[in-house]
Amino acid sequence: MKSSFYKLIVFLLVFATACTDLDLQPGGSAVPGVFFEDEASYRQFIARVYSGLAVTGQQGPAGAADISSLDEGFSNYLRQYWQLQELTTEEAVIAWGDVGLPQLHNHTWTSSNQFVNAMYYRIFFQISMANEFLRESTTDKLNERGVSAAIQDDVRHFRAEARFLRALSYWHGIDLFGNVPFYTEDTAIGSDPPRQGSRQEVFDFIISELNAIEADMMEPGMNEYGRADKGALWMLQAKVLLNAEVYTGTGRYADALAAVNNIIASGQYALEDNYANLFLADNNNSGELIFSIPFDGERTQTWGGMTYLVHAPIGGSMDAVAESVFGVNGGWFGLRTTSTLPNLFPDPNAFPDARALFWTDGQTIDIPEGGISNFNNGYGIQKYKNVTSQGELGSDLTHPDNDFPMFRLADAYLMYVECFVRGGGGDAGTAVGYINMLRERAYGNANGNIEEADLDLDFILAERGRELYWEGHRRTDRIRFGQFSDNGIWPWKGGVPEGQITESYRDLLPIPAAELLANPNLQQNEGY
Amino acid sequence: MKQFFQSNLLLIAMLLLPGLMLGQRTVSGTVTDADNGDPLIGVNVVVMGAESTGAITDFDGKFSVNVPEGFEKLLFTYTGFADQEVAIDGRSTIDVQLTSGIDIEEVIVIGYGTVKKEDKTGSVDVVNSEDFNTGAISGPQDLLTGKVAGVNISTTSGEPGRGAQIRIRGGTSFSASNEPLFVVDGVPFSNDGNPGSRNPLNFMNPNDIESVTVLKDASATAIYGSRAANGVIIITTKKGVAGAKPSINYDGYFSTRILTSELTNLNAEQFRNFVTFADPSRLESLGTANTDWYDEMTESAMGHSHSLSLTGGAANMGYRVSLGYQKFDGVVTPASNENVNLGFSLNQNMFDDRLKMNLNYKGGYTRDVFDPGLIWAAWTFDPTQPVLDPENTDFGGYFEHGVSLAPRNPVSAANQIESFGKSFRNLASFDAQYEIIDGLSVKINYGVDYNSGGFRKFEPTTYLNTQISDRNGNIFIQDYVRSSQLVEITGNYNKTIGEQHDIGLLAGYSWQDFRFDEPQLTAFDLATDIFGFDNIGVADEFDARTFSSRNRLISFFGRANYAFANRYLVTVSLRADGSTRFGDENKWGIFPSAAVAWKILEEPFAAGLTNIFSDLKLRVGYGKIGNQEIGDFGYLPTYQLSDGMTQFQFGDEFVTTARPNAYDANLKWEETTNYNIGLDFGFANGRVNGSIEYYFKDTKDLLATVPVPAGTNLSDRVLTNIGQIQNQGIELTLSTIVLDIKDLRWDVNANAAWNKNEVKAISSITSSGILTGGISGGVGNNVQIIQVGQPINSFYLFEHLLDGSGNPLADGIDHNDDGSVDLADMYADLNGDGMVNEEDRRAYKKPTPDLLLGFSSNVSYKEFDLSFTLRGGIGGYVYDNNASSRGYFNHLSLNPAYNNNIHASALVTNFQDPQFFSDYYLQNGSFMRLENISLGYNVPNIGDRTLRLYVSGQNLFVLTNYTGIDPEVENGIDQTPFPRTKGIIFGVSLGL
Repeated sequence: MKSSFYKLIVFLLVFATACTDLDLQPGGSAVPGVFFEDEASYRQFIARVYSGLAVTGQQGPAGAADISSLDEGFSNYLRQYWQLQELTTEEAVIAWGDVGLPQLHNHTWTSSNQFVNAMYYRIFFQISMANEFLRESTTDKLNERGVSAAIQDDVRHFRAEARFLRALSYWHGIDLFGNVPFYTEDTAIGSDPPRQGSRQEVFDFIISELNAIEADMMEPGMNEYGRADKGALWMLQAKVLLNAEVYTGTGRYADALAAVNNIIASGQYALEDNYANLFLADNNNSGELIFSIPFDGERTQTWGGMTYLVHAPIGGSMDAVAESVFGVNGGWFGLRTTSTLPNLFPDPNAFPDARALFWTDGQTIDIPEGGISNFNNGYGIQKYKNVTSQGELGSDLTHPDNDFPMFRLADAYLMYVECFVRGGGGDAGTAVGYINMLRERAYGNANGNIEEADLDLDFILAERGRELYWEGHRRTDRIRFGQFSDNGIWPWKGGVPEGQITESYRDLLPIPAAELLANPNLQQNEGY
Repeated sequence: MKQFFQSNLLLIAMLLLPGLMLGQRTVSGTVTDADNGDPLIGVNVVVMGAESTGAITDFDGKFSVNVPEGFEKLLFTYTGFADQEVAIDGRSTIDVQLTSGIDIEEVIVIGYGTVKKEDKTGSVDVVNSEDFNTGAISGPQDLLTGKVAGVNISTTSGEPGRGAQIRIRGGTSFSASNEPLFVVDGVPFSNDGNPGSRNPLNFMNPNDIESVTVLKDASATAIYGSRAANGVIIITTKKGVAGAKPSINYDGYFSTRILTSELTNLNAEQFRNFVTFADPSRLESLGTANTDWYDEMTESAMGHSHSLSLTGGAANMGYRVSLGYQKFDGVVTPASNENVNLGFSLNQNMFDDRLKMNLNYKGGYTRDVFDPGLIWAAWTFDPTQPVLDPENTDFGGYFEHGVSLAPRNPVSAANQIESFGKSFRNLASFDAQYEIIDGLSVKINYGVDYNSGGFRKFEPTTYLNTQISDRNGNIFIQDYVRSSQLVEITGNYNKTIGEQHDIGLLAGYSWQDFRFDEPQLTAFDLATDIFGFDNIGVADEFDARTFSSRNRLISFFGRANYAFANRYLVTVSLRADGSTRFGDENKWGIFPSAAVAWKILEEPFAAGLTNIFSDLKLRVGYGKIGNQEIGDFGYLPTYQLSDGMTQFQFGDEFVTTARPNAYDANLKWEETTNYNIGLDFGFANGRVNGSIEYYFKDTKDLLATVPVPAGTNLSDRVLTNIGQIQNQGIELTLSTIVLDIKDLRWDVNANAAWNKNEVKAISSITSSGILTGGISGGVGNNVQIIQVGQPINSFYLFEHLLDGSGNPLADGIDHNDDGSVDLADMYADLNGDGMVNEEDRRAYKKPTPDLLLGFSSNVSYKEFDLSFTLRGGIGGYVYDNNASSRGYFNHLSLNPAYNNNIHASALVTNFQDPQFFSDYYLQNGSFMRLENISLGYNVPNIGDRTLRLYVSGQNLFVLTNYTGIDPEVENGIDQTPFPRTKGIIFGVSLGL
């Protein structure tokens, strides 16, 4: 009797609690306490920091978007980075009239340009992801959660890679926007808006970070494909230092050369025999790639990334052969190039320089007044194709298998040469040798080889164009060579068919107007 | 047939309450209207002292009641008429005349209770079934259109079975819902959409609805707390009446609907001429056909509706059973909507009426067939191409451009794609109220809403294949269950102290839990088309995912009413809502209200006014209400895993990734403070009644998804509390009996509502505002803005300069002779900085009307009646996106592989390229619409029965200067909605 009375009391208490129970847990997503119970969570999380470069949300090809200021497919990190680096230069024009898009080639972008804004938010999305990873993977937290020693060792590498990815995005940040919001894992979610770090300060941070994590990065070529290793780290170091004069006013060419030498000395990388294979559906097999963004037709889908880079250049007479030549189900009639790029080559038909992968059939080399929106004006480029080096189709006709070659050995060679010419050390013979390795691959023989006398900055800028066009380097390169805004002319620069110079403040992009209003600590770049 | 029902009913009654039929005598008679001698139908006749015994008058006003031994008086009650007690005095036939009069004791339903209409303190409007709109009613919302001041029910498409957008006194929110809360027979229920039906309200048979109460101000809605910010619509369903004779009613009609207008694109001949003029090089790519794509896609649509009900009662109990069936075809093939509704209610009183129980069930099965959504293709598809191309067997013998980005042949899509949704929704509730002592009662209410169904879409390989897609045939299967449970306990105490003090108290607890589960499966690359949806085993590839969500609301609430001398009325209420959608700090929201009313005519000093006025009451109310209609768990840090198509490659492994989602731990309730002042009046002996009201709504902590500073969260935008908006307005309602002489009666109801909306603050963005109003054509283009000092979603456009004849200046021409062709050639430099750029766009006009008008008239003469409802909106603007996205020359040649038709406006504007941000496309969308007009005939001299025949016209005309298809479009942006229709219906109502 007593016990049943007791039971009744307990029952009533439980019942009363249930009456005011407002603690519900989400079903389709997990709170941190649940998520980190599984030790695989750290790998899943770091994979997401990487995939921020490739996809736009948690559902493929679009859905559960990461950022929402822009159409999800447009908001892709690689797509926007590529557009800002290429459409603003002679290497690319695009036919579409989406608001803000023609402004990129015209050099008339404003602080409300949705593509500039998307890149900005993408960069800081990446940095925030990396910071959150670092906050959630401290030794204290791992111990608290009882994470095993083996996983803790993996997490040590993951943490270094998260800091690498953060440094990569901060580099993109200072390269594109100059002085940027500067915050680390010490800034918690929901805190006050971060302060603005100067370009110098963030540059110093990137360099110190890369030095600090070097020991915890895997040896070159020893990490899983898709993850960054010391090779990627040295490459990033080299690229940041090579541009140090732009960022800080002080050249660091000797330091850049040292980083390049680390890469070459590792012996892990070799030039791909056939230049065109670097951009095909099985380019993940290439020994020339140092760091790439992997995509997969079935497993890693997006409307940006390689889907954009394969489809958007197809149009005109290419569309009819979209499947047989390009391995996709149709063109988007967007991207072409101005006459400046094919004119760097002896002939646009890949002869004798095999790097000239132009599509000329049905295309004019020049773009007349009012002609940008017509796909048939300007040569097409057939660099990225969703077919393998063996001629097989990729796994999917919409989403390609190609990986984006962000860092590759040829770029390291060209950086060596440039450091040498800019007085950073090295020797002439090696420099000429590296150039001739690239040219012998392009020509198939020594006919295109150069001599030491040919080596000057103009040649290097042109050669970087020939070797690395449409790989997302051009804007940064042109600014380093002083050939982007108030110097250098190419068709349609400044919005006129013959091209005209633009104001020098356009070397930097504007911080989004909405961001300036949201974060009172920020100052707009001069000129905007 | 009648006897069959009667005898069965008798049987039921005998089973339930045996032995009541002893020692009785029968009294019968006729009840008529003292004014005109008409029989009164449905008058309650009860035996005084034995209230459970009684009857209801039939269609001839006749009644027959069994009076037990020892009872001597009958009580006659009828809504709108004075009660009358009659002594039996040994008579067996008693004829009674009831007087319609000023002491109307109409009782209206409010939140968690009822109130005498004359004692209401808040802004509450009731529409009873006799005042509902007639004609083709596709859902409960259609019953009210145009009937209530300040309630804007607009349908923005002609889809069969579509829902409507309902706004009570203007929207109060940016991102959270602006739809009112629905309460059906005391159960607040979710009006959230589901993938299986066009309108989740369609499960309910409109013929089952007795009355709809609209609570407009916070003093009336605050008892519903956090869900009341947009008003509350209380639906009361029809019930059986104790002691009533059984009766059967049938309502049915047939309808036919046609399109209201044609498209303004070019026909084949005009198109050929246009191509000859604009781009002759494309002539050879034109076809030789003359196809009117719009005509090919549309047809006149038939529909029919049948509703059968049986209602009656025995002593102490009433019952009602109803069955409904509706089928409407759409004007766009193959769209259709089919509903089967079943309703059941049983009410039983026991223990001398101390215990009252109600059981209610409303269920509906709906099946919606969807059109492929290619109305836009009718605008764009090349009219010189044929529908069929027998050679083109890859595409089932239909003509197609065969290019991945090209518009699809809409006729092929309509004929080849199968796409439908089904929904089975059940709303069941049971309540029991027990009066413990006189005046004190306790009520328990349990309700369950269970809605399950699914959506299916099948695209055969002859429609979707690798020529134009990465998929070769596609099957999409989606199932869902949306459910909620409600438990509510309320206590009520009413007491009159002395002569002058009336007190009413209410206290309650409520628990409501909502769940949604939805698995989805996509199967594609089909080996064969022959199985349709039925065999996904023939697919090569699959993609599966699930969605689920859950939330709960727990509430405590109370209300006190006090009336002094029936002259001063005071109501105060308080609700505390706890929601799972907010963090610990903000889980509970407190929503108070207070209102006073003053019946001026009851004052001794107002005695002189009674000659003029029959009613004069001043009401003042205040209340605080909330809004929590946002997604779940926005306050919690959560990790979301990637699906199989967004994995990331590490070595040979594709790793499922996990993303931390953005969140705002401090997310809290959106709060609206509402003030209301109203005057109810009546004069000419109650023949003219009306009210005038002023309200002011101040909403703060608006929930919106807004840009946040980089680095402060995990995305660029976060759902958070931001900003403030205000709505204020004036409403006027008038109802008049214009004429009431023998055989002829004319009633007129009119209402007008003026509302002004202004954004007062946006916390993080102060100057430029938040762009809204996405349009089609390009990506990421917005034509509206939320800007401080402007109405919400004001249009944000350039001012287009005009030429001498009033046409906009064309693009590509150096109009201002400054040597360059730029924006300054077409658009005004509004900020006067010498150049024209983004900053010259201005917030100008807005989509919502300033003034809403409703006008209903009903004339009856002998057996005939004629009624109509007009509805208008003045001052709303519309952006014609159909014109802006297609009205330019180069729309023809967007792609070398095919030609696009253009909008005819291009021939006027001569635009070469799209001018999305030109105010040329913004037009005044003021309108006056004839919602319906109906002529009826009641067949006389058929005894006990009633038979009514009617013909009704729906949406026969719209008066407007808007040049697009229809000015009523969602959010003021006209984007190829499902075409509007007008229609005629023929109906019959039969009562047995």
